[in-house]
Amino acid sequence: MKHLFFIIITVVSLNQVISQNFKFGKVSKEELQEKFHPIDSSASAAVLYRHESISFYFTESDGFMQQREIHERIKVYNKDGFDWATKKEYLYQGSSRFEENMSGLKGVTFNYVDGKIIKDKLSSEGKFNEDYNEYTKINSFTMPNIKEGSVIEYKYKITTGSLGIDDIIFQYRIPINKLDVKIATPEYYVYKKQMNLKASYYPKIKESAKNLTVPFKYIVNIISAEETDVPALRAEAYAGNINNYRSKMALELSAILNTYKVVEKSFSSSWEEVTKTIYKSDNFGGQLSRSNFYKDDINTLLSSVTDDFQKAFLVENLVKSKVKWNGNYSKYTQKGIRSAYKEGVGNVADINLLVTSMLRSQGIKAYPVLISTRNNGIPLFPTREGFNYVICMVKKGESYMLIDATEPFSTNNVLPERVLNWRGRVITEDGNSQWINIMSQAKSLESTRLNVKINDDFSVSGKVSKSLNSYSALRYRNKYALTTEEDHIKALESDKGDLEIAELNFENKKDITEPVKVSYEYELSDGVDEVGDKLYFSPLLFLALKENPFKLEERQYPIDFIMPYEDKYLINIMLPEGYNVESLPENEIMEFKDGDAKFQYILRENGRYLQLKVNLDINNPIIGSLDYKVFKSFFSSLVEKQAEQIVLTKA
Amino acid sequence: MPNIKSTLSIFLVFLSFYSFSQTEDVYSSLFVPEELKTKANAVVRYVTRQIIINDYDDMVIRRKRIVTVYNKEGVRHAKAYEHYSEDTKIKNIEIKVFDSTGEEIKKIRKKDFTDASAVNGGTLYSDNRVLYYDYTPLNFPFTIEFKSEVHHESTSYLPHWMPIDGYYLSVQFSELKIENNLGEELRFKEQNFDDLNIEKVSKYHFKAEKLASIEYEAYSPKLSLIAPRLSYALDKFMINGVEGRNGDWKNQGKWMYEKMLKDKLVLSEQTKELAVNLVKGVKNPIEKAQLIYNYVQQNTRYISVQEGIGGMQPIDALTVDEVKYGDCKGLSNYTKALLAHVGVESYYTRLFASSKLQDVDKDFVSFQGQTNHVILAIPNNNDYIWLECTSQTNPFGFTAGFTDDRDVLVVKPEGGEIVHTKVYEADDSVQKTTAEIALDITGSFIADVNIITTGYQYNLHQGIENETDRDQQLHYKEYWDNINDITIDDITIVNDKEQVVYNESIKLSSTNYASKSGNRFILQPNMFNKVTQIPPRYPERKLGFKIDRSFKDADEFMIQIPEGFKIEAMTEGKELNTKFGTYKFKLETLEDNKIKYTRTYILNKGNYQKEDYKAFRDFRKKIVKNDKTKIVLIKV
Repeated sequence: MKHLFFIIITVVSLNQVISQNFKFGKVSKEELQEKFHPIDSSASAAVLYRHESISFYFTESDGFMQQREIHERIKVYNKDGFDWATKKEYLYQGSSRFEENMSGLKGVTFNYVDGKIIKDKLSSEGKFNEDYNEYTKINSFTMPNIKEGSVIEYKYKITTGSLGIDDIIFQYRIPINKLDVKIATPEYYVYKKQMNLKASYYPKIKESAKNLTVPFKYIVNIISAEETDVPALRAEAYAGNINNYRSKMALELSAILNTYKVVEKSFSSSWEEVTKTIYKSDNFGGQLSRSNFYKDDINTLLSSVTDDFQKAFLVENLVKSKVKWNGNYSKYTQKGIRSAYKEGVGNVADINLLVTSMLRSQGIKAYPVLISTRNNGIPLFPTREGFNYVICMVKKGESYMLIDATEPFSTNNVLPERVLNWRGRVITEDGNSQWINIMSQAKSLESTRLNVKINDDFSVSGKVSKSLNSYSALRYRNKYALTTEEDHIKALESDKGDLEIAELNFENKKDITEPVKVSYEYELSDGVDEVGDKLYFSPLLFLALKENPFKLEERQYPIDFIMPYEDKYLINIMLPEGYNVESLPENEIMEFKDGDAKFQYILRENGRYLQLKVNLDINNPIIGSLDYKVFKSFFSSLVEKQAEQIVLTKA
Repeated sequence: MPNIKSTLSIFLVFLSFYSFSQTEDVYSSLFVPEELKTKANAVVRYVTRQIIINDYDDMVIRRKRIVTVYNKEGVRHAKAYEHYSEDTKIKNIEIKVFDSTGEEIKKIRKKDFTDASAVNGGTLYSDNRVLYYDYTPLNFPFTIEFKSEVHHESTSYLPHWMPIDGYYLSVQFSELKIENNLGEELRFKEQNFDDLNIEKVSKYHFKAEKLASIEYEAYSPKLSLIAPRLSYALDKFMINGVEGRNGDWKNQGKWMYEKMLKDKLVLSEQTKELAVNLVKGVKNPIEKAQLIYNYVQQNTRYISVQEGIGGMQPIDALTVDEVKYGDCKGLSNYTKALLAHVGVESYYTRLFASSKLQDVDKDFVSFQGQTNHVILAIPNNNDYIWLECTSQTNPFGFTAGFTDDRDVLVVKPEGGEIVHTKVYEADDSVQKTTAEIALDITGSFIADVNIITTGYQYNLHQGIENETDRDQQLHYKEYWDNINDITIDDITIVNDKEQVVYNESIKLSSTNYASKSGNRFILQPNMFNKVTQIPPRYPERKLGFKIDRSFKDADEFMIQIPEGFKIEAMTEGKELNTKFGTYKFKLETLEDNKIKYTRTYILNKGNYQKEDYKAFRDFRKKIVKNDKTKIVLIKV
């Protein structure tokens, strides 16, 4: 078996050697004639070759300059692949030293017409420079004469004086046949590399070094990867942002050495150091001791309160009411906590460091907690860029409470979902730091009571009362607390058949210390079917889950429910006059993977009443891709169960 | 004397009572009239727009807009930004923000605004730019005052005056003043002013006071067609340094042809030869057009670049030929040039393209808001064939869903002409679904389903054939989301572009479709074409509604009942006849333990009164209910 595998590999790679030459312009007839991708036949386009080379060259005037060279050859199989003939580079502009400039852009479209290779060059008509905003310009180009089957090839350089290296991308939405990446950095700059560990594709990284003598003697460190057949990255429902799973590598400058190769400036080599570097910044730790501007407000606010957690709650609310979030993430303050307080607006750090500072000024143990948000991925190696957000932790004895004052409805230990990623790094007064768990431990509960009365015309009426806590409450408030009652009703009625809702009551709409309570009267005209002399209906009526959201046959990436939760239903059905039970769905308990998820369906007959309890528990919110098939069928069964019918027959 | 005095004072009282002057009150949300607060995310407190036309290439627009914002949704109604480009300069721009008591809390000067490019989604490059400021509200309500002065060198596009320029936005006071220093008068058109408090103070001065907000309602025409709107235009105008003519549509079209189009049709000798070769031996002009259109589809693609006068004028055919891409104007013009060379006449056609129907206003000649797209018209007997030149996949002459059933401006060398594009009737837009279903003794089934679509429904289905296998499977699982746990076993799609028929054949299976109850199976025979959505309920519908397109669905499903079961109960069928359409389903028992389910659903296009909405909703409600009809099978 092993031998066979080897032979196949040899044949395939041999094939490629024969037909492909990756020198610019050497596009072959075979590449042009290819009708579909040999491995991924449904791909609309494929990268035949991508070469990315990052290097530094020395100039007398500016020292080392970074140069990124890109060379790509792309095959367009069909019209859906035409987008790949247009490329946009977002480049930094502003300060001249760090400005990114594109040069040497050259492009050719190749078509195969009547046995001949036709070439069309990218001319100035297809190149555009756009001044996007103060900090960004866009250099874009679009290739001429694109048809189904075209091969395009282009190359360009981007130079900058910045030492920061953009992420190295190993995976696209389309397959990459051959990938050739090289990063050469002078020994004076020490970079730490970090792969995306959530990716399902890993390139093999090689490291080496080379001596240079021009313009002086120094060593260049080389990181390289040569890959073939990188599969396309395709989105999957309930996986969160698919970019989190893209195969890529980040490089972070960890130290600058002087000419004697001694560390002149060090950035980060351990989480402890990373945290210290951040803490030392004037836009982080430097903010925490500023207190004059709010002193009086705080003193009055807290004068009669003694409990630290209570104080924290009051301060959190004060900041929420006084400073609005401008939508920007950052671990560093944008304007500083003083002007944020004064102007009433700030970024994440402005707001949460303000909370921390206020609490500290009262002698409360409050600490900033560094976070990597869900769309920032999970940093497994110590890097400063690994953190992009900060929240606040308050300690009382052994227990602690987490605060994020950027959102109106998040509350103690119920943080906005963007924050719930892995763990946080808490920094104490002395700059020391340690990991803490920020994921929700407690299950969020949504509990629903449904009363059902079947009327003479076989319409159904009754009452629904719901109670939601923790994250279930947060989600509900985010959705409905700011909408009008009319829109709230419209949303509840939407896609629920002929349902009419009245007497909607929404308690604790904005009181985040209490669970959300929602109740309403309903009337449903199409809930019960009369067929022959029998009545048929499914007891969850309009509350039943109608379809299984998991439709793919298999998955590459896990399902992420973000937090554990429980959905509970208690349904009381009053039997209509003149009808008796003919048959009832059977009671059932289903479990997925030793209780990671659990579903219960218990129906009891009690005189003229039926009582049904339905519970869905998601105890472990992450469902790995290996377990997907089993989970899909678990979910399918519970959808089926909810559709089962009660049959009543005329007495 | 006393008489005069008292008259005057009465007059003054009258004035102060009815006319609104901008006082400090408009900066405080406390003084918003109660009746304007209902269903409003924001209230326009005071708007004045002053338009000073000094010359055909010299126009100044001064805006002052004071808006009280009640919530997040209302923030965008501040409209605190200005667009500019080559021929437009922003002289002044400023924002002031006031808290609910009317106290000024922030001032934003020109230098604090963000200067950004205003390229929209589908465009690769444009020289349009925008100055804006991203204000984060501290508290609601707040009031924002925006002031600007913009100088225009073009007078082709004169902005509409729409006092209610958003849903859930009420208006306390809004006015438009035009200072016309030309010898020529402006032309005006008022729309939807009826019964509203809008006053024409003088020829060039309009004033609106206390206008209630408009709530969004499903199926209503777009806001610009139902809200009060004043259009105005000049007969002579300048656009990017070119002098233009409106007059009537004929004149505008003639000007357009002469100044914008005529010189853009040149082709290279090589391409001319190619075009001639393409149609070699073909006499019929329509067949020639088909060949040319096919060539354009196979060899070009849509890329939009808008620079200078490029907003109105196409890129020349020579350039499009060289790069093989262009926007709607460039690609239509290129196709026209090719057609002309092989002796097929065609006309550049301007229109408002969108899935909702919108006409070019045949009674009011202008540029503003009239068109957003260009197609080609090929005369065919007494009718036209319409070509969408930006699509690489559209069948020849197909317009359903984007450019159908609307008044368009056909630009002929002799002048413009308003023509109505093809209307797709119910019988033109058919979806026929047939299925053979075999149910087994566990309640599972396997089925062969076939869907054939034409017309507008073709447009809704086509394109699936280009998806990946994985996405095609997902598509059908979503399409039949009423069936749990589907496995798709085979997909065959034939897109017949010549006949414009889309044909999908799917083999699929599902477990436990029929739900079991004791020794019975309960199943819904309408498995493959269910209506499940009822239009939203409005306690009091305020707007009329519109069904843009007619269509017809015809379904026939044959269900094989498993051995050992028989039908215990089922209804025979149902028929509904309304002015909105008809619906009918029928269930029949056939030999060999088979059930035949047939269904027809026709929806009629039309403009309907608000009073009809309840009946329309009832019609759909009944369809949803009947589409859930059940059959009960029992073990023998």
